[in-house]
Amino acid sequence: MSKEELVIEGQKYDSKDRIRADRTDMLYKDIPEGSPLVKIRDLNVTYRTDEKTTVAVDNISFDINKGELISIVGPSGCGKSTILRCISGLLQPTSGTIMIGDRLCTTAGSDRGMVFQDFALFPWRSVRKNVEFGLEIAGVPKEERRERSDRYLKSMGLLDFADSRVHELSGGMKQRVGIARAMIMHPAVILMDEPFGALDAQTRNILQESLVNVLKNSHRTIVFVTHSVDEALYLSDRVLVLSKRPASIHQIIEVPGDRPRDRGAPEYAKMRKEILDYLETQNTM
Amino acid sequence: MAFLGYDENNRNHRFMRSVAITAISLVVFLILWWVVTVIMNDKNFPTPDKVFEALWSLLLYGDPIGGHSLWEYIAVSLKTFINGFGLALVVAVPLGLILGYVKPLREFTAPWIEVVRPIAPIAWAPIFVLSFGSQLGPALVVFIGIFFPLLTNIIFGVQRIDKNWLDASKTLGATQGQLFYKIVLPATVPYILNGIKVGLGVGWMCIVAAEIYNKFGGIGQYLVDMVNGGLMANAFSAIIIIAVLGLMTTGVAEYVSKVVSRRMGMDA
Repeated sequence: MSKEELVIEGQKYDSKDRIRADRTDMLYKDIPEGSPLVKIRDLNVTYRTDEKTTVAVDNISFDINKGELISIVGPSGCGKSTILRCISGLLQPTSGTIMIGDRLCTTAGSDRGMVFQDFALFPWRSVRKNVEFGLEIAGVPKEERRERSDRYLKSMGLLDFADSRVHELSGGMKQRVGIARAMIMHPAVILMDEPFGALDAQTRNILQESLVNVLKNSHRTIVFVTHSVDEALYLSDRVLVLSKRPASIHQIIEVPGDRPRDRGAPEYAKMRKEILDYLETQNTM
Repeated sequence: MAFLGYDENNRNHRFMRSVAITAISLVVFLILWWVVTVIMNDKNFPTPDKVFEALWSLLLYGDPIGGHSLWEYIAVSLKTFINGFGLALVVAVPLGLILGYVKPLREFTAPWIEVVRPIAPIAWAPIFVLSFGSQLGPALVVFIGIFFPLLTNIIFGVQRIDKNWLDASKTLGATQGQLFYKIVLPATVPYILNGIKVGLGVGWMCIVAAEIYNKFGGIGQYLVDMVNGGLMANAFSAIIIIAVLGLMTTGVAEYVSKVVSRRMGMDA
């Protein structure tokens, strides 16, 4: 390995450094952008009850490329979130493997950050303390924590609310905290589970733009589960379209164009119609 | 419908309203007490004026038998109470957190708890005093009274923890120990405080039972002595003292519980 020195967020790293829990992306710095980072193979989730067995996810395989934002869309209840929870390690798949680089993922860890639909913030902690949570448990010293949280609070427009309590914030603000809390850890991949699903349409658009802005300055690998095709087309490099339950991959669509994109561009309208037409055929209602 | 210009949106008005209602309620209570005891005309049920006279005399001259002051009695009772409460806190908080968090352990100990819990603290009093003496014995009776409501509140609180908080912590790299210390413990604080509030009330219910066998000391022993001596007005004055002590401690506990829960952003 080369003796190159990396400076990230003011911290120096070289290849001899032990990779810290708050810098797991460094484990994969040798994987080039655009190459497969996370490999999901033959993922199967089956629920068994006394009466019947339900297949929720049916042998799904796909790659998540480094530096891309890949969306997962599909009819409601098709198992989008189930796939995401399997990648996070919060749910054990019935069979199949999830690899990051050449490491097999079995349990949850800080290399797979997560943003939750209902925010999952800690109400007894201030906004800043929520954002710093991961750093705190990773044993990052206080001054460095503060310096780093300052940066993320600022980029998310939360600096004025640093000492506020979570319950004093609006829904949009809460999810900004949720995103900052995940991003500050520099996980190898960030999993977003319908992150804007609980927000009104206007707040949703604003947060989509914030996310695009943040990604311009800081390249991240993101898996984004959404039920909004518009949102998927606005944000993603690729869109993975799922069938109805049991979920299998219908197609993976490459979305052209740099972000920020024009929401009304005709090329997106055409893709949108295609996906929506397919989803309609999959509607079980 | 503005009664005397009452305004529901005015904080001071709301406060005055609750004070007025409490005051009227107490006055009505005294009147009812008076009426009932006058009608009964039984020397075992003294009228309020006799009871307050006895209370006043206890305050000024001490008890009518040994001459001990009211404060000596209160000091002994408070010491018993605080020891029992402290012990309950030290045992119930860690135990409740662990039992709430570790399901097999909870299932394993559930039969023990369910067997012991319904036993009235007064049933333990003779056993504890005989086995542990007049210092520790009464405190253990209070302990039993406070312990179970506190424990069950904490176990309930741990089980009510939002699963998303645990999931979020895991994806931020928390170990089992960190989950416990950084999530389970703070998330349970409102339930611990609520358990303390409930437990304190039960604790005062136990104080008489705890002190029945005391040679000297405590409001409970004073009450029993007065009943044995046929001084019913004095016995009732002891009840009033216990009621006031109970009101004060649970009042403080309720206030602390409310303020802390609100500050933690976890008031229901």
